[in-house]
Amino acid sequence: MVQTKQKKQLAKWLMIFTHLGSILPLALFGWAALRGQLGFNPVETALQQSGRAAVTLLILSLTVTPLRKIFNLKILHKLRKPLGLYAALYAGLHFAAFTVWDYGLNLRLIWLEFIQKPFLLLGLGSLVILGLLAATSFRYWQVKLRSGWYWLQRAVYFAAVLAIAHYLLAVKGDLLTLQGDYTRPLIASGLLLVLFLLRVPFIYQPLQRWVSQSTRQTLG
Amino acid sequence: MAECSAGMGLAYPSLLNPKTGYFNRKKIMTKKVYRSVPIKPDEVTPKNIYMNRRKFLKGMGLTGLGVLLAGCAPALSPDTAIPEGAPTEDLQDALTDYEAITNYINYYEFTTRKDGVAELAKQFTTDPWSVEVSGLVENPQVFSMDEILDNFSQEERIYRMRCVEGWSMVIPWLGFPLHKLLEEVKPTAEARYVLFETALVPEEMPNAETGMFPFPYLEGLRLDEAMHDLTILATGLYNEPLTPQNGAPIRLVVPWKYGFKSSKSLVRIALVADQPPTLWSTVAPQEYGFYANVNPEVDHPRWSQATERRIGESGRIPTLFMNGYTEEVMPLYEGMDLRINY
Repeated sequence: MVQTKQKKQLAKWLMIFTHLGSILPLALFGWAALRGQLGFNPVETALQQSGRAAVTLLILSLTVTPLRKIFNLKILHKLRKPLGLYAALYAGLHFAAFTVWDYGLNLRLIWLEFIQKPFLLLGLGSLVILGLLAATSFRYWQVKLRSGWYWLQRAVYFAAVLAIAHYLLAVKGDLLTLQGDYTRPLIASGLLLVLFLLRVPFIYQPLQRWVSQSTRQTLG
Repeated sequence: MAECSAGMGLAYPSLLNPKTGYFNRKKIMTKKVYRSVPIKPDEVTPKNIYMNRRKFLKGMGLTGLGVLLAGCAPALSPDTAIPEGAPTEDLQDALTDYEAITNYINYYEFTTRKDGVAELAKQFTTDPWSVEVSGLVENPQVFSMDEILDNFSQEERIYRMRCVEGWSMVIPWLGFPLHKLLEEVKPTAEARYVLFETALVPEEMPNAETGMFPFPYLEGLRLDEAMHDLTILATGLYNEPLTPQNGAPIRLVVPWKYGFKSSKSLVRIALVADQPPTLWSTVAPQEYGFYANVNPEVDHPRWSQATERRIGESGRIPTLFMNGYTEEVMPLYEGMDLRINY
């Protein structure tokens, strides 16, 4: 009984921490904006920070399930949804910074950019998927779509691949020879690859077994 | 104005304010901006042609002449006004703030963070400094900075600076035409290109040896581009000596090309026979050509080349063909397909 209460407390704090951490990039941006500290090219700052926040949260949302499975941490399960929703929020803000702030909603110019630059289409694809998943993330749709809902939510993997490809192509340099400042997008790519591998049953199952055995030994 | 808006006028009829030739801009201050007229090769008389607002005495003289306060938008005093009849045109371009010019910089030998260069470049040693001018020349020389400032009178040139990343500035450079230096060393008949090498000092440049880019930073111009009167070697901006982050003590400025062509902190200028390999055209040849002329018609896979964001102002403005220097530089490219030679 006491243990359940403690667990509930912990779950509550984890959730609060998740929300605060997810809002932090936006709060920091707002604070910097109020103090006029967005740099000499504020649009560029907004694009970079919102993009980084979206990718970070997307990766975190994909980290929940492998961690939960391997370490048997059911408590993490509920964090997946807010993390995914915040990722979609930042992706939306990123898009708004581009279309509204940078291009002043000049549809002709925006259209030209999209047809000329494949990396923008990758980003847009990711945003559309994340938007769709966010819109259907609520109980109503979960019930209505039944098993289709789980199938649909798997599109998040595809959204992540598109987002990282967009990130890699947005860097000035050459992707084939990796000449340029590729540190951040490469870290993101590496993490995504690891997360994908951890979804493969014959990779996560031995890990799961190994973790449960070692915990039992420690307890025993 | 007519010649510079003509190209863009066609591309963006709906965006242009017919009065100003621009759109969506908050005017900070109206300022006469230097525009040159075509220069005939046999009449190199920049004094009469360019607005030579202030002649700068060499070296020490820089500080002796009432220095404009950093960060202030510099209103020109009446005695330095453009002489009547000088072929300048009012483009209503405001000078970019000194703070922005000296703090928003791409200088990858230091860091790829534009706002981090100034701090990291503080300790960069720019004195003593010398520039080797060699290669296919009759009279190879090593110029010390003192010699450069003594031998070539410094003049102010207000140029637009358009970065390939889609942002731009208007910068009052202080410098002298590169052709004056090249005339001293006398290029031989075989010389067809000019190579520019930026200093590479790993002890003082934290990002120089991370393998991120193949330094030293090399750039190049065709000899006739290098000899063009708009091409200058800059030693200062806003009436002050260049800051290390802006390429002190001496750098190239080629106003009709994307900013990366204007390489900083030059240690060597070499006359060569063949088109030299340049850093960006080596790293990503499909994105950056040797010519890299500002051209809103030639798209880039990452940034808009049709429009640009002027630092310190809001909104986007159309990018001008050849960065607005069409009339002066088009003779250089007669008969060339600028889509192929991007």
